[in-house]
Amino acid sequence: MTTASDTEPAPPLVLTPYLFLLPAMLVTLAVVLWPVAETVWMSLHNFILFKPRNVPFIGLGNFWRLLHDEVFWLSLGHSLVWISLVVGLQFLLGLATALLLNQSFWWRSLARSLVIIPWALPSVIIGLTWTWMYDYNVGVLNDVFLRFGLIDKPVAWLAQPNSAFFSIVVALIWQGFPFFAVTILAGLQTISAELYEAADIDGATRFQRLRFITLPAIADVIATALLLRTIWVANSLDVILVMTGGGPGYSTYTLPLYAFLKAYSGMEFGYGSALAIMLTLLLLLVVFIYVRRAARELDQ
Amino acid sequence: MKRRQFIQAAGATALSTPLIMAPMVNSAKAQAATVRWWYHFDNPQNTPNDLIAQFEKDNPGIKIQAESIPWGGGGDYYTRLFAAIVAKNAPDCAMVKLSSQAQLLEMDALEPLDGHIKNWAGKADISDNIWNVNKAQDGKQYYLPLQYVVLYLYYRADWLQAAGLQPPKTFEEFLAAAKAMTKGDVSGFGMRGGGGGHDNWAPFIIGNGATFAKGGMVNEQALAGNRFYVSLARDHKVTPASAASDGFRQIVDGFKAERTGMIIHHIGSANELVTALGDKVSAVPVPRPANGKGWTMFGDESNAVLSGSKNKDAAFKWISFLSSGGNNVAFNKLTGQLPVTTSGASSWTLHPKRFVDASAASLPLAGVLPDSPKTADFARTVWPTSMQRALLGQITSDEMMKTIEAHYNG
Amino acid sequence: MMDRRSPLQRLFELHLPLLVIVLFALGPYVWMMMTSIKTNTDIGAWPVRYWPQAFTSEHYHALLERTSFGGNLVNSFIIATGACMLGLSVSLPAAYAFSRYRFRGRRLLMTQFLVINMFPIVLIIIPLFVLMRNIGLLDTFIGIILGHSTFAVPFSIWMLTSYMNAIPKDLDEAARIDGATTLEVLRLIILPVIMPGLVTTGIYIFVTSWNEYLFAMMLSGQNVRTVTVALQLFIGEFSVQWGLLTAAGTLIALPVTLLFLLVQKRLVSGLTSGAVKS
Repeated sequence: MTTASDTEPAPPLVLTPYLFLLPAMLVTLAVVLWPVAETVWMSLHNFILFKPRNVPFIGLGNFWRLLHDEVFWLSLGHSLVWISLVVGLQFLLGLATALLLNQSFWWRSLARSLVIIPWALPSVIIGLTWTWMYDYNVGVLNDVFLRFGLIDKPVAWLAQPNSAFFSIVVALIWQGFPFFAVTILAGLQTISAELYEAADIDGATRFQRLRFITLPAIADVIATALLLRTIWVANSLDVILVMTGGGPGYSTYTLPLYAFLKAYSGMEFGYGSALAIMLTLLLLLVVFIYVRRAARELDQ
Repeated sequence: MKRRQFIQAAGATALSTPLIMAPMVNSAKAQAATVRWWYHFDNPQNTPNDLIAQFEKDNPGIKIQAESIPWGGGGDYYTRLFAAIVAKNAPDCAMVKLSSQAQLLEMDALEPLDGHIKNWAGKADISDNIWNVNKAQDGKQYYLPLQYVVLYLYYRADWLQAAGLQPPKTFEEFLAAAKAMTKGDVSGFGMRGGGGGHDNWAPFIIGNGATFAKGGMVNEQALAGNRFYVSLARDHKVTPASAASDGFRQIVDGFKAERTGMIIHHIGSANELVTALGDKVSAVPVPRPANGKGWTMFGDESNAVLSGSKNKDAAFKWISFLSSGGNNVAFNKLTGQLPVTTSGASSWTLHPKRFVDASAASLPLAGVLPDSPKTADFARTVWPTSMQRALLGQITSDEMMKTIEAHYNG
Repeated sequence: MMDRRSPLQRLFELHLPLLVIVLFALGPYVWMMMTSIKTNTDIGAWPVRYWPQAFTSEHYHALLERTSFGGNLVNSFIIATGACMLGLSVSLPAAYAFSRYRFRGRRLLMTQFLVINMFPIVLIIIPLFVLMRNIGLLDTFIGIILGHSTFAVPFSIWMLTSYMNAIPKDLDEAARIDGATTLEVLRLIILPVIMPGLVTTGIYIFVTSWNEYLFAMMLSGQNVRTVTVALQLFIGEFSVQWGLLTAAGTLIALPVTLLFLLVQKRLVSGLTSGAVKS
């Protein structure tokens, strides 16, 4: 990671910003630093939770094993498709929603509050409710589709590899798009009305206004929201865990789910930690690319 | 064979002999102690408060601090317990299952109870063989039995009758019954390919001669049993299309919605099924292979005292209170399982008689999965993943058995 | 800004698409709500009974009278509010520092806050449990709030920084020329303008904390049990209490939705309402 001093003229050493940062640093580091250090230690050992008397140091053995583990590569592949689909579609739907909600109409405050509901529910409920709606025997989706003649016999949504994967993607888009809608909506509020008035005078079409005024003005907010959401989705596993537990077979395995199952079902905390660290390193790569790119704009 | 004998004995006593209520002695010694106890109930509306109040009245000086811990498919409960043990913050006693005994012992977390049990008045009300099934590999007694269930076959009596068939006793009859009931959007057998489905699978595999010893999952009978089970879905198509992902909830919902004709489960769902289907549902022991052997799953639950406890005597008093005669009956009314005491079993009325009978008739077949640290992972990931892959045709039935063999003996 | 579209155009470009989105958002929730007022017999029926034979409030009664759910709601509310206040109060100055100052290690520190967010919680939870046990914060509000700050603080800092970057720097400089101190600039100039961003971030923390399960499950005991943990108690080994679960789900979404209804007016303040002009 390049430090600020590599690319910028050395800024004067003032104390104020550090003082402003101190509380945040204290709160987060106090809680995170020790557990993460412990996890790194575990990843270098063959640490099995129920064998506390026998924890041999194996260096990078867990990482070596991981590179030869086909389930790791499979999960990584799923994770990539997964993150791009879920975050991408959440974002597009969220952006559309925010743009609609930013206009003025009589039921706006109602619409704004209703749209947030999926996001206001715990993942356990979301997972169970969607599993139940997708149910082969008593699910409401099969019932509705049958009534409208879209299918001629019930579909076992969660029992086939592809449909299981996309069924969960739909549930996750539902869960997460309100986040983008709300975040982008707040970003839209910071755009000065004068800009639009000027554009109106110049006779800009609505598409031109979106392309040349709205989007550039909220680019920073969008980029940050995308980055944070990518990290969040990349790490989340609760909805998958409830809906399929990774199945059928390995069809819905993602990296964090695999790490979780290794750690809590196999009690192999050493290997689970290695998987988690690998995931963090891969995410770090994404962030590095983002920060390099964003740095140019941020540091103006 | 200790387990087999116990279960037969338990069956015999549960069924026929009304036993003498063991006298309960609760000497109320003056001692100030708080006992932390962890439990999990399926219905959050039930609480053990009445039992606790009774106990505290009998034992002034002991306070029970009961904590319900989320079950979370078993994972959350044991994660909490293991983390608490690692952090030296474990409760004094907790509800535990045999499948975790090996792991808990490996962590030095359990207190041997032999000394306490020797002097406990309620000892005789639990048959010797129940004690034996819960004995650890080192011969000591760490678990104090609390409740049990045993898996059997639920079937639609009306549909079988309409087809002119008897409740299936053998694999062949089972297949014939499943075929007869499969029509339209009804499937003969609600197969459970999702989490926990190994309970339903084991009767066809272990029952056919598979074992967990080296080579036991790849011997000829084991392979044949699994081929039969997989073929129910892939060749005979007597299972719902969703079999690969169905868990406990789905098979029960499907059966209640009259979409399947048979499922394998235990007495815990009896009242729910009777509410939905009335007399149309009945139960028999799981089918057996032609040679007459057979196997079904014994679902145990006990209490244990944790080795880090500072109030071991008080903790034992509390858990022994729960396993004595009338208290054990009261406790099982809260959980919907079956009492372990012979006196309690004789007066059991919570479930319709045909399901209590089916449970008792299943006991001679009943066993538990091996007392190995690998069993938890087998049940949670190894079995579901390989079963689902076999059902989807991603691997063959024999490859699935090789995976399981490799997990236990690889 | 003036809208010169005809009513018909507005119907097809605004009302209808938004209606579809709202229905999509609401569908599963409404389904859950419908389930919560059905009897247990109607809940598992096939074909699906959209209009139950009888409506019942038994699940709500059972939930509030025979389980600890009411108390759990209060606990969750305290924790989510606490996480929100702690998160915002430490993040606002940090975001101001990142947005308005250029200093050594700035980018490194910003990245550091992201990295904290990147580590899967499931694997740090056991060491965290041991840590909380050692400092005596197990089963306390503070313990869980601190746990939640691990994701709340990094997120807030990043979001607030990007909202602040959108505010022209001329604003602060004008105020400084008039003799305002740094804290006055933050309080009188930045705070009002950033309000929509602050509210959004606050909602984010509140919602995430409200819905969080793993920290709450591990770090809480009987004393500070949250709704998410209580929910898990309805999913037993051998049965799922659908009635209770859907009733609980219906109630859980309400506080957040009401909260949003209350604060969403704030989202329309900020620059559009003329802060720049004055």
